[in-house]
Amino acid sequence: MTPSGSPAHLARRAGTGTGWWGRKRTRQAALILCFLLPSLAIFLLYRVIPLGWNAILSFQSWSPMRPPRWVGFEHYEEMLFYDDIFWTALWNTLIWIGAAPVAIILALGIALLVNSDLKGASVYRTIVFLSYPLMTVAVGIIWRWMYDERGGFINWALRIAGIIDRPLGFLQSFDLAMASVIVTDIWQVIGFYMIILLTGLQQIPQHLYEAARVDGVPRHAVFLYVTLPMLRPSLFLCAVIGLLNSFTSFDLVYVMTNGGPGHATELLITYIYKLGFGQTKFDYAAAVTVVQFLLLLALTFLANRLAGGNAGAVEKD
Amino acid sequence: MRRGFPWARHAVLIVVSAIMLLPFYWVFKTAITNENIYAFPPRLLPQDPHPYNFVDVWYLIPFPRYLLNSVIVSVMAVIGNVVLNAMAAYALTQNFRAKKLVVLLLLSCMLIPFQATIIPAYLITARIGLLNTYLGLALPLLSTIVCIFIYKAAFEAVPRSLVEAARMDGLSEWRIIAHVLLPLSRPAIATNVILAFIWSWNSFMWPLIVTRDANMQTLPLGLARFLSYMEDTTGALYAFVCMVLAPGILVFLMAQSAFIRGLTHGATKG
Repeated sequence: MTPSGSPAHLARRAGTGTGWWGRKRTRQAALILCFLLPSLAIFLLYRVIPLGWNAILSFQSWSPMRPPRWVGFEHYEEMLFYDDIFWTALWNTLIWIGAAPVAIILALGIALLVNSDLKGASVYRTIVFLSYPLMTVAVGIIWRWMYDERGGFINWALRIAGIIDRPLGFLQSFDLAMASVIVTDIWQVIGFYMIILLTGLQQIPQHLYEAARVDGVPRHAVFLYVTLPMLRPSLFLCAVIGLLNSFTSFDLVYVMTNGGPGHATELLITYIYKLGFGQTKFDYAAAVTVVQFLLLLALTFLANRLAGGNAGAVEKD
Repeated sequence: MRRGFPWARHAVLIVVSAIMLLPFYWVFKTAITNENIYAFPPRLLPQDPHPYNFVDVWYLIPFPRYLLNSVIVSVMAVIGNVVLNAMAAYALTQNFRAKKLVVLLLLSCMLIPFQATIIPAYLITARIGLLNTYLGLALPLLSTIVCIFIYKAAFEAVPRSLVEAARMDGLSEWRIIAHVLLPLSRPAIATNVILAFIWSWNSFMWPLIVTRDANMQTLPLGLARFLSYMEDTTGALYAFVCMVLAPGILVFLMAQSAFIRGLTHGATKG
């Protein structure tokens, strides 16, 4: 079907003839709409509408059989003034986020070591990155076994080294459980931070280093005044991932401790899950979700300001 | 960074690598032995290795069923992303009036982590009757904003004259995408496939909420369920872990650079 000679086609090709032009534009618009529609529908259904509904739900009393009833700030009052678990979970979430800089600094160290003409650097890179794309549930189970009192490697190594003489129940201890889960989390994500920082390092123009060497700038000064400032977009990206990680860590905590012992490792996200799907308090869970979402937005904004407000650099990559 | 002592750097990196690899070894060792795991000290090397734990996992728990469910959901997610994202990205390369608004909407949606919307997302899924169905499991994963932008960047890199020429020749928009843009955007397709696969394959919280019965559970759910049944008492659990991880590790090692590129592109998805 090639109507190359037909007048209609010629008109369309030339872009003249208002009738054709008009119809073509309508068709084009309809097509664009059709192309966008499936994706937009999914985002509306699973991002935009839920976000709005979640906010509404947090001001309502919800139960499966009755129509919802407005209760104003009741849930927020209960949460902020009477709910100790909420405060524990909030505090734990902040600790979780606070651990991200530790991971990022470690990852920066590894990235600097790997970013060189060192033989076998790519092998190290692969090994460090390997744990990141794996299923978090499986990673949690692996580390439960590593921490195990009898069969676990860590207890064995500590006992052989004479650091402890009785096995420690890392995940059963109120003092150690949080740190233990965070170590596992760092173990899984550190390779990802490393790759991001490595990409950032490789984008730093070599002539800056050349110039610094010619001027006899000491190495620590080069790091402070050339490398770190140039890495700012990558560091910001790592920080944002660290923030989101406090949401996405549900899998790990669920499998390793389920928030226990007591609520020692309860994060806001695990608490939300328990409230919503354990106790069917969807309304109250929605209020906690609002708090966590606002916390995340505020911290992202803060990180953006600290990075010099160039969050756009992330999109560009 | 070019100076310094290579052996010192090797030493540090070898220690780091050992820390990264040891947990895998430890689990694998337990999976292929029948040692009494309540005995102390644990053995460092596997004694009398055998494959029976793996056989047990295959036959005694519905491993094939979990695998099938995982594969179905992941295939749906991959096809959804490859097709729907390409369509949306193509639309975004065109000029239309509300384009800025759409881009803004997409960018702000990226700020909303899926986990922050699970409660209404569950209620919506329940209302449209998709709880405990494959479509319900896959639907939120069918299109991803980051991947749309990855496609868009790839499409924009295709010379405009090529697209114009195709249009002159009377190719429909569908064909322009399928026969001109997509063949020139292979890396973007690879990124879409990889990211969609990883996100759906590893996805745990959503299936946990949406599935009702064991027949619909995916691998991570099966793993978590097995954990609560067996409470660490058997090497079968660790055999299960190995069987779940092995395909992922193999695929990763084979397509490493595409993986890394894809994941750094999709960074903000988390």
